[in-house]
Amino acid sequence: MSGAVYLEKLSEFSALLRQEGLPVGVQETADACEILSQLDLADRETVRWALQAVYAKSREEQSAFQRAFDGFFVSAERRDAIRRQRQAEAMELARRRAQAERELQVRGRPIELREDLREVYIAMGEDKREQLRQMLERTRGTMERSPDRLYGNFIRSVFMRFLLEQQMTMEDAAVGAEASDPDLALLYRDISRFQDADIPRAAALIAAISRQLDAELTRQRKAGGHGGQLDFKRTIRRGLETGGSFYRLSYRRKRQKKRRLVLLCDVSGSMLQFSEFALRFIKSMSDFSESSQIFLFSEEVRLVDPFALQNMDAFRDYVRSSGLYGRGTDLGSALEVLCRRRPAPLGPSATLLILSDTKTIDVPRAARALAEARRQAGKVLWLNPIPQRKWPYVRSIQTTSALSQMLPCGTLDELVRACRKLLR
Amino acid sequence: MDLSSLQAKLDEARYIHDSALATTLLVALKLGRPLLIEGAAGVGKTEVAKVMAQALDRELVRLQCYEGLDESKALYEWNYQKQLLSIQIQMNRQDPDALTKSLFSGEYLLERPLLRSIRSEEPVVLLIDEIDKADEEFEAFLLELLSEMQITIPEVGSLRARSIPFVVLTSNRTRPLSEALRRRCAYLYIPYPDVEKEVSIIRAKLPNVNEHLAVQVAQAIHNLRENDAILKKPSIAETLDWVSALEALGISDLTEEAARRTIGFVLKSSEDQEAAGSLLTGPQDCGCGQDHAHCGACAESSGREDGGSR
Repeated sequence: MSGAVYLEKLSEFSALLRQEGLPVGVQETADACEILSQLDLADRETVRWALQAVYAKSREEQSAFQRAFDGFFVSAERRDAIRRQRQAEAMELARRRAQAERELQVRGRPIELREDLREVYIAMGEDKREQLRQMLERTRGTMERSPDRLYGNFIRSVFMRFLLEQQMTMEDAAVGAEASDPDLALLYRDISRFQDADIPRAAALIAAISRQLDAELTRQRKAGGHGGQLDFKRTIRRGLETGGSFYRLSYRRKRQKKRRLVLLCDVSGSMLQFSEFALRFIKSMSDFSESSQIFLFSEEVRLVDPFALQNMDAFRDYVRSSGLYGRGTDLGSALEVLCRRRPAPLGPSATLLILSDTKTIDVPRAARALAEARRQAGKVLWLNPIPQRKWPYVRSIQTTSALSQMLPCGTLDELVRACRKLLR
Repeated sequence: MDLSSLQAKLDEARYIHDSALATTLLVALKLGRPLLIEGAAGVGKTEVAKVMAQALDRELVRLQCYEGLDESKALYEWNYQKQLLSIQIQMNRQDPDALTKSLFSGEYLLERPLLRSIRSEEPVVLLIDEIDKADEEFEAFLLELLSEMQITIPEVGSLRARSIPFVVLTSNRTRPLSEALRRRCAYLYIPYPDVEKEVSIIRAKLPNVNEHLAVQVAQAIHNLRENDAILKKPSIAETLDWVSALEALGISDLTEEAARRTIGFVLKSSEDQEAAGSLLTGPQDCGCGQDHAHCGACAESSGREDGGSR
């Protein structure tokens, strides 16, 4: 293969890697091209390792690279399997077309149907087709009088519903969003997989969303109405403006009681990046809590001055200098410290918000301490970055979720939902 | 050098490797890029540089990083004593400018590892060990050397490398390295070896060891590394020490009693030794003290999907 062909293919591969979030530049592509031209790398696995050395510059990037490589450089076996699968699909499609031709007939004449709707019919499951056939049987008499119009309308309405259902059940909406709106894609991407280049965009997105949440909260309060007692003093004073008639009544405003928030935030290992974003998010909702205390923990726990967490750099610096960074997790010990602390941070008016993936040493001790914290605090909420589908497999989550309300928040979107729940 | 000859050299040096490691080394060598190796302590990162020096028949120049490491320790220093002596001797010289100029010549320059590696006539292997322990300022200072293969000395100017060294940087990931540094390097991550690879390492380094004992020790070490309760995971060097100790005591079967007697060669803190308990020769445990049928950590190690940190 010539150098130009290598370069073309590798440029496409580099673009794919960029979509995966790897910061790939021209230099990397040139290096990859050079190494493939210099070395006779006939073996697919050797090409894999060679390109990985050039493109992936951290362990996290290596796993993204592996995914992209397997998708781009298809192995011979996989290529054969794809070819066989495509052949089988083509044969199946031909069979279904022929079957659809036979089925979409009334009195031996084919029904007039748009080509796209005909394609939808072909793609429909057997149960839906059976529904259509049953309907056909039930409405045979009517159709005898105006078959094309009635049957056509009916079939179109079924198709439209089918199409809508298809769109609503798209599981991975972020895949489509990636190309159209990068910010939207960021909303659905795992926070722990954010690259350095994503962080400013994510920070701006957080600021925008928290402003929106603040506005929602204000609207909720305003829409809540007065709900309080009549304010005689103000009503009389305003009445003087209209010649003594109490034209407009004034009410005492119901005092909004804000919650006191106690944040217990895991900053060990892979939790650090998530904690940065979650803390930034919660802190940026200025209207949320009248006072908050933030505790960071790994193997030890520290009360943090919120001013030290004003931005991400300050947060990272603080975590590094505090000696918490790069250590294990001991949730039980952290909760015990919190419960014993005087003056008590927890209390009936406090909401304890735990940011952690529940992975801790000594789970039974953590569970006991959590039960005590729940007794002391008015409300305990847990934000967990592990995807919810994995929860059944993690023993520590099963234990802790029984003792507190646990919300998934591995992505910014989930974090927003969790914060909405917190506001209620 | 091609891949097979590099692999042969690694075999000669009795360095157990896989194709990923050999290919990455070859890529770094061919592109003339520094190689950044990350991994836990004791997985053989430094050994890669030593083996490469042996394989390429080059001198190994080592720079051990630590907090507070600066240019004077890593790059160069002026020999002040010699300069002072020279000033004293040449005090009555007529041309003061020439004297000043001569004081900042190569004669008075004390070469530290970085300068030595690029001023060497023959290419060397430069090992910058534990870069994560150095300050971020030093990391930034390295960028010029790694990308341009030149360094700047204010009194002299820029010095280009006479020969291109093969640079190996190692990091234990105690702090994240800058993107700028990463982008200039080829990257290799070395995980702890699996049981099979560890047995191969024991066989290669200690050829006379009992095969049964080697497998038992490798399995026990694997169990310890998988256990979250053990804070300081045993390194490969500690595995070899343990096997040697057992051999020296004439033990050919790793019973619980034998393990308890010699555990000090593997676990170097009383907390870890207590946590190890009966795990050394028993089945694998995650250290959660729970029924393992539904334990998340156990599920993870047995191949089930899981996420999050320790």
